[in-house]
Amino acid sequence: MSQSININDKSYPIDVEADMPLLWFLRDKLELTGTKYGCGMGICGACTVHLDGQAVRSCVMPVSAVAGKTITTIEGLSATGDHPLQKAWLANKVPQCGYCQSGQIMNAASFLATNKTPTSNDIDNAMQGNICRCGTYQRIKQAVSDAADEMYKEA
Amino acid sequence: MTDSDQSILGNQDPLLNKNTVSNQSRRKFLKQSGLATGGLVLGISLPQTTIAGFKMGEDSSFNPNAFIHIADDGDALIYCGRCEMGQGISTALSAAVADELEADWTRVSIKQGEGNAEKYGPQDTGGSASIRVMYIPMREAGAAAKVMLVAAAAKVWGVSAEECVAENHYVINTNNQQKLSYGDLASLAANESVPASVILKEKKDFKYIGKDIARHNQGDIVIGKLTYGVDTKLPGLRYAAMTHCPVMGGKLKSVDKAAAMQVKGVLDVIEIPRFEVPFGTLGGVAVVADNTWTAQQALKKLKIEWDLGEHQRYDTNVYKAQLVKNVERPAQVASERGDITQAFAEAEHVIKATYTGGHLSHAPMEPNASVVWVQKNSCEVWAATQSPGDIQTVLAQYLERDPKDIYVNVTMAGGAFGRKFKCDYVHEAAVLSQAVNAPVQLIWSREEDMRTGYYHSINAQHIEAAMDKDGNVTGWLHRAAFPAIASLFDPSLDRAPASALGDIDNHPFGIANYRSESGKAIAHTRIGWYRAVYAIFYGFAFGSAVDELAYKTKKDTLSLLTNIYDNNKNPEQAEQVARSKGALVMAAEKSNWANRDKLPNNQGLGIAVHYSFNSYVAMAVRVEAKGDDIKVLEVDVVVDCGQVLNLDSATAQMEGAIVMGMSLSLRTEVVFRNGAVVNSNYHNYPVLRINEMPQVNVYFVENDFKPTGLGEPGLGPFAPALANAVFAASGKRYRDLPFKPMSL
Repeated sequence: MSQSININDKSYPIDVEADMPLLWFLRDKLELTGTKYGCGMGICGACTVHLDGQAVRSCVMPVSAVAGKTITTIEGLSATGDHPLQKAWLANKVPQCGYCQSGQIMNAASFLATNKTPTSNDIDNAMQGNICRCGTYQRIKQAVSDAADEMYKEA
Repeated sequence: MTDSDQSILGNQDPLLNKNTVSNQSRRKFLKQSGLATGGLVLGISLPQTTIAGFKMGEDSSFNPNAFIHIADDGDALIYCGRCEMGQGISTALSAAVADELEADWTRVSIKQGEGNAEKYGPQDTGGSASIRVMYIPMREAGAAAKVMLVAAAAKVWGVSAEECVAENHYVINTNNQQKLSYGDLASLAANESVPASVILKEKKDFKYIGKDIARHNQGDIVIGKLTYGVDTKLPGLRYAAMTHCPVMGGKLKSVDKAAAMQVKGVLDVIEIPRFEVPFGTLGGVAVVADNTWTAQQALKKLKIEWDLGEHQRYDTNVYKAQLVKNVERPAQVASERGDITQAFAEAEHVIKATYTGGHLSHAPMEPNASVVWVQKNSCEVWAATQSPGDIQTVLAQYLERDPKDIYVNVTMAGGAFGRKFKCDYVHEAAVLSQAVNAPVQLIWSREEDMRTGYYHSINAQHIEAAMDKDGNVTGWLHRAAFPAIASLFDPSLDRAPASALGDIDNHPFGIANYRSESGKAIAHTRIGWYRAVYAIFYGFAFGSAVDELAYKTKKDTLSLLTNIYDNNKNPEQAEQVARSKGALVMAAEKSNWANRDKLPNNQGLGIAVHYSFNSYVAMAVRVEAKGDDIKVLEVDVVVDCGQVLNLDSATAQMEGAIVMGMSLSLRTEVVFRNGAVVNSNYHNYPVLRINEMPQVNVYFVENDFKPTGLGEPGLGPFAPALANAVFAASGKRYRDLPFKPMSL
């Protein structure tokens, strides 16, 4: 009676030690490498994925704790890579090395799902758990703001 | 169809006389690169060059640095031999090729070249050198390919080449506007001889150079598909975690592997020897398992005893205090001009100040990581690296093979900042792969990355400045003490060599009487290149001291700085003076320096300029400071790097330098106690986060100077401009990086 987990609309059996963090299950077992290792203690945000739509740090989330839940990774955020955040990231030329950007985008996607009119302070508060060592913060702020406009513009 | 290896570019143009473009042996190249289609292949070669004192490149044989391949379907592929770590070099250089090639950018793809100095020339990527070294040769390669495509089209039409023009991936017959695509022409062009010389485009005709071009890989980044050093997957891949002796020079005494071996999924526990070569692994103990998590957990179960060795008492608080003592008394003269004693004797005003700074860890988001697969007759590496050639050299020595038999796939680096120039983590993966007879991925934990670094030098600098009655700075003493990078190669060094003070000695300041001295500073940890290297503390000390002198003498810092440059009458430094001053004055204008008195209470504006890595950067920083609470509000950056290659990535480099500058000025410092690093992760090495990001405005000086690099030059002026701004706002003069709380 193995447990399973739904990741990017596919079901996978959990066939690893119960305490393995979701991050390493994604990376080493499923070879979904878009989710990155940065700190291993939930403080840099590089490993951010969605758990039932909510941004979580997969490096400190035991895979057994998310059995039966729905996980979305950067690879599953949009079928064709055209989520408004992904488009805004390209339009603002956000990435430098790009290593943290999966986590940044996933965190922002969860944030914008609940905040339709983010202020600059809102963005700071929501995004300050995600480190970018290259220093792309100014562009991240603009891209999040642009994506919010795109997602919630008047029909 | 040609199969020749002739290299033919002539010497008519002085810009061209050292570079060689050749029509590659196409069969050989296609075989090497696995390309399926035919077409035109060009290689470009460079002479030997040096960066940071190291001899680069190999011998005088054909050493192409780049390849252009135009396939029969018109797709153009440009290989970049320089390593990409987010600085955007692969995009910037390829855009320069495409501009001269008159290519349609949407038809261009870019591939990272594997480690192969014979094929690509020098690949060591550091010293902000890629653009400086590669700009002209890359353009020549593009221009040569274009000439050959035009020649092929002219033959088809039976007209002269002068009657044809190349435009956006086509050659056009100007007599009748007929067009032939680059795809149609590629194989024909391969039969044309490589031109003896090429004429490069004029600035006004640039289509991609200097424009705002998105980096070529950002589409893959936003969908999580770009492959970094941590991401290589192979059939049968094993995963490893490792630990090193926490003290430099220490050795493994004993390891009890039993508990770790009991962990389900663990394959082996392996002792890694120290490599006695420059940048070699320090050695340590690794666990190999069937996934990274298991390896990391089992590693914690090892019972290791280290012989900590001679540096086990290293304590940075004690050491920094000693460095201060060492710079506040006479030391070894490194450079001298004029008569400093007389200048101080005759001075109207004198200031003395000592500035300090801590060790820094590069802390890129991607920790050290690679995959190595050592087999009986091959060794293949997949690594985020700034020096694929060093991996080849060291592994060849270790495995007793030819360097050419070490195949290094250069992955995208998730940040590097100088750390991945030293590839100890790759050496370790090779040892493990050989031991377990399988491909092994070794990812250092964040903690290991922070504790087994090549740190930016801890430092102290004592400045004494003299001003005469007319307000001219007439005397300057710069006494520095810091463990130098050279200590890696000569651990007996008791102080930084005079050459390490060259950057400050050769600065274009017009101070007639000058002396630099090097104070005692023995290295107790590994010191390495960290983005901007010594420019971080030279810029901080000089830029702060000038501001201190200005306040003491009730002068405007901008005027005093300008005066210092104006007093430089050395014709050999005229260009440096003019460009330094130009950037400075423009930063003052952009930041409304003249009206800084009108800033709200608690706000202050500071300014500084620094010349490093052949580029000039001035910054004006506006802050709000209450007590020790510092908020950076806005930074105006003026850059003179000559011709800008890619406006987007050049701007991004400045934005990034400010973020890193804020981290090292306000937050981060690596602390050693009992010989070992105390910091472990981002909670106690708190790099800047988004909520502290100021508004950054980047401006470029328009001129026709040749392009220079921007990976590092943004760091030098930031810390002093910040410290000066804080002083203006709060009256607190911070002289220690990162700033520590202080009372007035």
